[in-house]
Amino acid sequence: MDSSTVKLILLIIHSLFFIYACSVILSYILLAIISAIESNQYMKRNSFVNYNEILSSTVAPSISIVAPAYNESLNIIENVRSLLSSHYVNYDVIIVNDGSKDNSLELLIKAYDLVKVDYLINEQIKTKPLRAGVFKSTNPAFEKLIVVDKENGGKADALNFGLNISNSQYCACIDVDCLLLEDSLQKMIKPFLEVTDVKVIASGGVIRIANACTIKEGKLLDINLPNKFIEIAQILEYLRSFLLGRMAWSRLNGLLVISGAFGIFEKKLAIEVGGYDTHTVGEDMEIIVRMRRHMEEKKVKYKVAYIPDPLCWTEAPDNYKILISQRNRWTRGTIETLRKHRKIGFNPKYNLLGMLSFPYWFFYERLAPIIEVVGILYFLILVALNNVKWDYVLAFFLLAYLFSIVFTLIAIFSEELTFHQYKKKGTGFKLVLVTLLEPFILHPVILYAAIKGNYDYYFNKKKKWGEMVRKGMSKT
Amino acid sequence: MIDFQFLLDYYNNLPSLIKLVWGLVGLLIIVIIDFLLYLKYLRSHLRDEEILSKKLFADYETNLINFLYAGNNEIKVSNEQQKIIDKMVFCVEDKFKRGIFISVLSKLKNEISGEMAIDINNLFLKTGLINYSLKKLNSRKWDEIASGIKELTQFEITNVYDDVSKLENHEKQEVRNEVQLYYVNLFQFKGLEFLNNLKSPISEWNQIQLLEILQKFDDQEITDISPWLKSENDSVVLFALKLAKIYNQFQSIDILLDLVSHKTKEIRVKSIEVLSYFQVKEAKSIIKSNFSERSIEEQISFFKMLLDVADSDDENFILENTNHHNFELKLIAFTLLKKLNSKKLQSIIQASQNIENEKIFNYLEVN
Repeated sequence: MDSSTVKLILLIIHSLFFIYACSVILSYILLAIISAIESNQYMKRNSFVNYNEILSSTVAPSISIVAPAYNESLNIIENVRSLLSSHYVNYDVIIVNDGSKDNSLELLIKAYDLVKVDYLINEQIKTKPLRAGVFKSTNPAFEKLIVVDKENGGKADALNFGLNISNSQYCACIDVDCLLLEDSLQKMIKPFLEVTDVKVIASGGVIRIANACTIKEGKLLDINLPNKFIEIAQILEYLRSFLLGRMAWSRLNGLLVISGAFGIFEKKLAIEVGGYDTHTVGEDMEIIVRMRRHMEEKKVKYKVAYIPDPLCWTEAPDNYKILISQRNRWTRGTIETLRKHRKIGFNPKYNLLGMLSFPYWFFYERLAPIIEVVGILYFLILVALNNVKWDYVLAFFLLAYLFSIVFTLIAIFSEELTFHQYKKKGTGFKLVLVTLLEPFILHPVILYAAIKGNYDYYFNKKKKWGEMVRKGMSKT
Repeated sequence: MIDFQFLLDYYNNLPSLIKLVWGLVGLLIIVIIDFLLYLKYLRSHLRDEEILSKKLFADYETNLINFLYAGNNEIKVSNEQQKIIDKMVFCVEDKFKRGIFISVLSKLKNEISGEMAIDINNLFLKTGLINYSLKKLNSRKWDEIASGIKELTQFEITNVYDDVSKLENHEKQEVRNEVQLYYVNLFQFKGLEFLNNLKSPISEWNQIQLLEILQKFDDQEITDISPWLKSENDSVVLFALKLAKIYNQFQSIDILLDLVSHKTKEIRVKSIEVLSYFQVKEAKSIIKSNFSERSIEEQISFFKMLLDVADSDDENFILENTNHHNFELKLIAFTLLKKLNSKKLQSIIQASQNIENEKIFNYLEVN
């Protein structure tokens, strides 16, 4: 190759990186604008809604809260109490003890006066069999509680069991360690009931981080900002993701994922598409993509709704090891889902799903860490070849860094102008400080986890769920 | 010292793209500084506003309670009450304070009833709040219109019916919902007359709200629902079906029997459910005549109905469906068979080799 060919190749590489970076920035700007419009509309729509009428209504649709539990003995009693404290009338709580090796079941039996009952299960989705059986409480105060003890089959399998056993019209699939606010169900069910021109197939909620919050007897008493950098940085990440990203995608009706920690589905449809996929670690994203694909193929107008209210609070990893394991799993889940449904990508038959959501997810979620690492390696090669104009590097680096700060600040504004959860003095300063540092500290860790997720996906197939060590949220 | 001339020369000699990047860097720095200052202001402002809101709320609440207890039976408005009214008239001129005042009124309105509730409604008029609500009805913003109607509903302002009814077919569903809630809250069952000419669908959410409001009234004398059951608007029919069930509209059974052949599946399913609730045996022959052509939801609803109305004449029909592909329906069929002819069920159990049926048989044995 002569030098002009090399120069041409380098120019093409540079242009591709440049175009990619510009498109990322442009997409973020667009998402921020769309989310601002949608947030504004959402706040207006909900400023005069009366949620009280639905609470006492006997004709309100039935909802089953399905919560899989695996070795959750530390918090399970408190968590179940939180789930049982919903103000909604027509609901039940199904705890699926997924072959726990600890004494979760015994604790539940004791705390909630459970007895084994004969329960005929319509196994519409194949799952692992029952172990100890199905339990209900003899205490009328806990009549809404059903506990299922089955053999271990993973989270997706446990959720499928919950779908099989539920007699309700809707299923709220949640992580058992999540703390739901009392008005969560009526807010989450609203999109299914208020829309008249399309079919709402699922509704997803925002997940908030409960680390350092004051929680007593399953109730959130006081919201605090944690002190650890890693926890605050995740709070910022969640704000960006839920208040900007998902809010905008919700407006476009292009949501590809609703968090596995809290989402409601129409049970009939969830079963019709075969329930959760037990062969992926990203079952929450996969079921949404499959449901959407199903609706597109049936040519039925549909919507995946999204509720930005802070209704569900969960414990986030407070050390890098667990965080990396969690993000590794998220990456593998994304790869598995996109690969499984690759037929959708760039396929006009799937409308917005095929032409916008899927390509966006592929380019800016799936490929982003890989492109970033390739960029870093390429940069190092240029450094080694002494072929770097450092003043240009500084300019581009500053631009990227400052843009990330602006984007995070917009997410903070979005939070302040809507739900304003972190009210205490001093929290604003902490949030800003972490905003400035996050790109240098948290981002490399997330990037490492994503690359490791890619590696594990291709070269370490045996890897399944990572371990999430819980400290427990019951702090006062 | 920074050599500005050097920097300027350097900048001028840069390629356009890099110039643009440095320009954007400068712009973003300015934006970030502005954002940080605004964030500081915003957070302080929100905190102060919250403190002020709480203070004003408590203050207004005290004033209003004093107002309610300062009433004198002999004269319409006592001096003390008039003083409070004057104070509040001044307060509601400010939009922020007005919002808080309305929320205090709403809170008290929800907590009390009788004469005092009427006093609160009167206060809404006397403080001039009604004018602000009426003004909202003419707003260009749909959310203001909806909030105006909500206020008029809450403080029972019936004499603005004409102004509100003009918004009955507003393009925004939220406004239409509020209009419907206004009608029913203030005119009870008579308020449902809007259903006669309703062209747009009533959401399930609003149907639930309307039903809940209706059930709160002392007078439960419902008007004739037949025209709604025959409506062209499917959502009106579905709403009427709910009314038929809740208010035991036996006189509508003939229409309900027609509805099991309605073009919309959801209406057919719901009408079977209502007929089941009324235990109307006449429905059996109609549904049986084309049972296999009906959707699975209708078939299951019908079998649930049979749990209450089946007799020995239905045995063969039930027997035919014990091999149905749907588990739920099959379970009901076997349950019915156990009830009607347990010997027959026993013979089927003995002959059965179907594993799925085995589960049902085991369940029926103990239940």
